[in-house]
Amino acid sequence: MKAPLKTCAAHRPGRPAASRAALVAAVLWPLLAAAGTAHAELPSPELSHELTRLENPGPAPDFMLKDMDERAHSLSAYRGKVVMLNFWATWCPPCRREIPSMESIYQDLGKSGFVVLAVNEFETPDHVFAYTGQLSVFPTFPILFDHDSKVSQAYGVKGLPTTVLIDKQGRIVYRAVGGRDFDHPEVREIVRALLARDAGDAAKPGSGGDASR
Amino acid sequence: MTVIRPPFRLAGLIVLLGCTVQAPAFAGDVQVFTDDTSGLLSWKAQHPGFSLQFIQLLPDYVRAVYSARGLSEDVVELMAGYCVFGTIIKNESDQPLSYRVADWRYLTQDGQAHPIKTKTEWLKQWQDMGVAFRWSLLPDDQTFAPGDWSQGFTTLPLPPDTPVKLHYTWSQQGKTYEGTFENLRCAPARAPRR
Repeated sequence: MKAPLKTCAAHRPGRPAASRAALVAAVLWPLLAAAGTAHAELPSPELSHELTRLENPGPAPDFMLKDMDERAHSLSAYRGKVVMLNFWATWCPPCRREIPSMESIYQDLGKSGFVVLAVNEFETPDHVFAYTGQLSVFPTFPILFDHDSKVSQAYGVKGLPTTVLIDKQGRIVYRAVGGRDFDHPEVREIVRALLARDAGDAAKPGSGGDASR
Repeated sequence: MTVIRPPFRLAGLIVLLGCTVQAPAFAGDVQVFTDDTSGLLSWKAQHPGFSLQFIQLLPDYVRAVYSARGLSEDVVELMAGYCVFGTIIKNESDQPLSYRVADWRYLTQDGQAHPIKTKTEWLKQWQDMGVAFRWSLLPDDQTFAPGDWSQGFTTLPLPPDTPVKLHYTWSQQGKTYEGTFENLRCAPARAPRR
């Protein structure tokens, strides 16, 4: 296993004890949890591309969260766009693994009305900034901070990462628990299908791809 | 309720082999892995459409995780005093499945079965200790759609290096399935290799 050590220095400058601990954690958790063993080839779970289509899409709870630059983002401000809402944390290996795929699909479809909002749980902007600065792919989508986890609770998130797709009408139409490869063609097809619908279209979601279940 | 018991007869032998040859060993549904660098062990139970992994975590690692989240020394040492396994659960089937940690049991060497402390129980204790952090622990219960998976810590009140069995269940389409890790072992106090 090749641990992506260069992405793992997830510590907060100015806090030596915590920094050392965070470095140990950031190095060990990917080794132990994501890949299991360095040479025994215990595979980390493959990142599938399956998204679960919700039979009865409900309204996505609105929220107001700040990004790294202290700018406030409300979900309702994105009404009329297709939103991928991803709940994550730096210590979560699959969260790290899916970031490049989120960035890729955001780069390709962002100009068509597709938005990625990565909601970080319980961490500080300093911590996350140091972390993202060492990723091979720097995320350009907004990273929001859910310091008290109230937004994740409103979405019923039990584990990280969890991702939902919200349609132009503000409804949660797809859900994925655990890491995913969002750059997969079938996921893109789902997003494109959602983008193609009018905001007032009451048609059921899910006609656009085999990644849905 | 139908209960299906998969075979785990050679699990003990496989743990031994896994420790010896440092390569994935396989018997029935359980694979044992040894980290060449640290010497730490992990176990993976593979069932049709369902997999469960338990990964030894060192007390120092547990300290590091919680210290890095800014939790108090009391909380950090409390957690590091437990036998902690990293746990990964995955739905690899084409139907939803669910699990409940409250239904799982660990068996100590005296043969006694004990419930596993759930995330809800931990969160209540943390809340009483002034902790708002609510992540890292394996969720109490989840229903996974196809392709869903999750990970988190499972905690047992056992000393380092203690052998333990762990009985787990999951449900799918009205049936409850079960399995047992016959030869789990808590992480040692320090990594076997450095």
